[in-house]
Amino acid sequence: MNQVETSQPSTATRASAGIRGLFRNQGVSMLVILALMWVVLAFLSKYFFTVDNLFEITLQTAVVAIIAAGQTLVIISGGIDLSVGSVFACAAVVGGVVFTSTGNLLLSLLTTLGVGALFGLTNGLLITKVRVPPFIATLGMMGIARGLALIISSGIPIYGLDDSYKFIGQGKFFDVIPVPTVIVLVVYAIGYVVMNYTRFGRFVYSIGSNAEAARLSGINVPLVIIGIYTISGLLSGLASTIEAGRLATIQPAGGNGYELLAIGAVLIGGASTFGGEGSILATLIGALLVTTIRNGLNILGVNAFWQYVVNGVVIIGAVAIDQYRRRR
Amino acid sequence: MDKLLSMTGITKAFFGVSVLKGVDFDLNHGEVHVLLGENGAGKSTLMKILSGAYQLDAGAVVLDGQPIDFATFTPKAADDRGIVTVYQNFHLIPHLSVAENLSLASFTHGRGFIHWKQVYAHANTVLQKIDFAIDPKAKVRDLPVSQKQMLEIAIALSKNAKVLIMDEPTAALSRKETETLFKTIADIKARGIGIIYISHKLEEVKLIGDRITVLRDGLTVATVAARDADLQQIIGLMIGKELSRVHENRASVSDEELLRVDGLQNRHFAAPISFALHKREVLGITGLVGSGKTELAHAIFGVDRLDAGALSLAGRLVRIDSPRKAVALGIGYLPEDRDADGLCLNLGVKENVSLVYLAKLKSLLFSVAQEKRTVAGLVDSIGIKAAGIAQQVKYLSGGNKQKVVFGKWLSARCNLLILDEPTIGIDIGARGEIYGLIRQFIAGEDRAVIFISSDMAEILEVADRILVMAGGALVAELDPKHTTKQEIMQYSLRAVTV
Repeated sequence: MNQVETSQPSTATRASAGIRGLFRNQGVSMLVILALMWVVLAFLSKYFFTVDNLFEITLQTAVVAIIAAGQTLVIISGGIDLSVGSVFACAAVVGGVVFTSTGNLLLSLLTTLGVGALFGLTNGLLITKVRVPPFIATLGMMGIARGLALIISSGIPIYGLDDSYKFIGQGKFFDVIPVPTVIVLVVYAIGYVVMNYTRFGRFVYSIGSNAEAARLSGINVPLVIIGIYTISGLLSGLASTIEAGRLATIQPAGGNGYELLAIGAVLIGGASTFGGEGSILATLIGALLVTTIRNGLNILGVNAFWQYVVNGVVIIGAVAIDQYRRRR
Repeated sequence: MDKLLSMTGITKAFFGVSVLKGVDFDLNHGEVHVLLGENGAGKSTLMKILSGAYQLDAGAVVLDGQPIDFATFTPKAADDRGIVTVYQNFHLIPHLSVAENLSLASFTHGRGFIHWKQVYAHANTVLQKIDFAIDPKAKVRDLPVSQKQMLEIAIALSKNAKVLIMDEPTAALSRKETETLFKTIADIKARGIGIIYISHKLEEVKLIGDRITVLRDGLTVATVAARDADLQQIIGLMIGKELSRVHENRASVSDEELLRVDGLQNRHFAAPISFALHKREVLGITGLVGSGKTELAHAIFGVDRLDAGALSLAGRLVRIDSPRKAVALGIGYLPEDRDADGLCLNLGVKENVSLVYLAKLKSLLFSVAQEKRTVAGLVDSIGIKAAGIAQQVKYLSGGNKQKVVFGKWLSARCNLLILDEPTIGIDIGARGEIYGLIRQFIAGEDRAVIFISSDMAEILEVADRILVMAGGALVAELDPKHTTKQEIMQYSLRAVTV
């Protein structure tokens, strides 16, 4: 019988030999495009290809990338989480209130993570027990979380987060590597292991591919789905601590639109909106792509409002490339 | 008389793998030409070339004296030239009504408004032609599978077809519906339309066919008149080797019970169901479409709730309230619709075969290397034909897909396999291989198989004991060595009074 591995990878981002093979994989295609972009921008501006600026890109990517990591699981499972931007804000606000009243950084961070996870858990329960479709459940939660964030904070940003908090967003390990960059790398390393080496990760792919077949194979589908959305909420909370650290304030209006950026990054990385396909590493490349463009436009002095246009074009373009690639 | 269709020297390869190696096939006016062959022999590919879905690499096709120019031959072009395919997987729009589906093509004409009177009139005309009663206002998704199939055929006919390609048309049809279909086919023949008929039901093809062509490994092996065809010989031509039987060299059925079902009741059953399953036994469950066979499987596998009744596995009382529980107890289920319920189509062979094994594992992490080894070993011993364990399952043939589902349960150490119509839509060679797998499976100590099939000939061949269901109740228990198809049919038709 045939034991030869074919050059059609099933789910992981395995690069195959040859240029042709490279383009069979969306993640790799986007990596190539990213590299090309860096080369072009390096030519266009001498400020681009500096160590400082490159770290700056990873910094700017960090927040969206972490949210996108959670969104990757959601989208691979065939769902969607529209609430991440609002949960981002609400988790930060509640954590901020804890911080300003207790001064305890650890407690505040745990609260933020906990609130994020709680929202995610609620999403998961709505989807599995009450049978509300993910789009609707997270759409509603988007409004609920945003409203609660504004109510709890009375609409006023929380200022003056002290140095201990700022370390998360602005600190550097060994004076060189920004803390957020490290956090992103850790999250993605864990994500990679989970999606490729744990049963949970495999179940996410299976449920996205065919939830009924997964159920009939003995998988506890509701439990996995609850887990997925809880993780998405948790990571939204984590991302918000980084932004709070960077800005040294917590904005109740923060995270607005981040859900679209996160979903964009996941789809640029080649995940299918139908579920069952996608890769955590490719999402990271997608997030880097989006941020590179934004960073590049800034450096070139382009009007900031063009970023919205460019973002939209990039998402459409990347998914168009993906669709074209699938049909070959 | 000139041939309606003539295909010569058709050659096609995919990714360097040769699928058709110079096939010759022709069709006369008003003829039913049966195309037989194992999955992978090239039947589907040949038909997809004819219907414009694939490009050929070499060869020529002439329809009604006019050659086909493959540079511009799209499915729409095939449609326009009168080559219409009736598929196994339907091309109907489930959320629209029957009438709307029938008039779908004509919605593109006219000035944008739909003339409902005309739509319903057209629907009635078409439906009358096939002598089949369907409510034109019914939504297609509410129709039973057999009616959807008849509707597909009606649509094909309304397109003024010259050549009709029918792929497994009777797979989901009852005896009566099959008879109606055959009458319709006779009608179609009388109009001079040629039919290419693909089916795995060998007895049927002798009845309906005028000529039979056997394909094997991408070549035409034989073309004979159906009248003169010897079925055993044809089987031999199709698979080129001995057919595996379930009952060869088998250890005998044990007296010990593996499963006891006592008084099972739920909303699907008309009367409480009770029976026993012994170790090393293949228990056949048969009955007509809708008799409750699948519902019984669902009840045992935890898909449906039970209102009353008890299940005992190896003497121990068990409560099976979910598929997960059933899997944990060592029960496996191969669903009737393997694509919709049994496989993750866009995942690879590896991910599909290891699914239940992973579901039963206790640890968080698993060894990827171990998974690869286990799956590769299984793929080898089961004989799954795929381009490597990473190949997406959707590219596999029906028989190989079923072997993947089989492998999924074998990799998980299950004892009781419930097979729901396991050989439907599978060619004779792969069928034999599945029987071989079943034989291997029940050789194990505490194993047993429940084999559900509406194909009574198959049940007689495969089962050690036969249970007949009708109208949601168990109506008979028969010994295959002392019963006949007629007797089984008689019981199947029995109405149950509670």
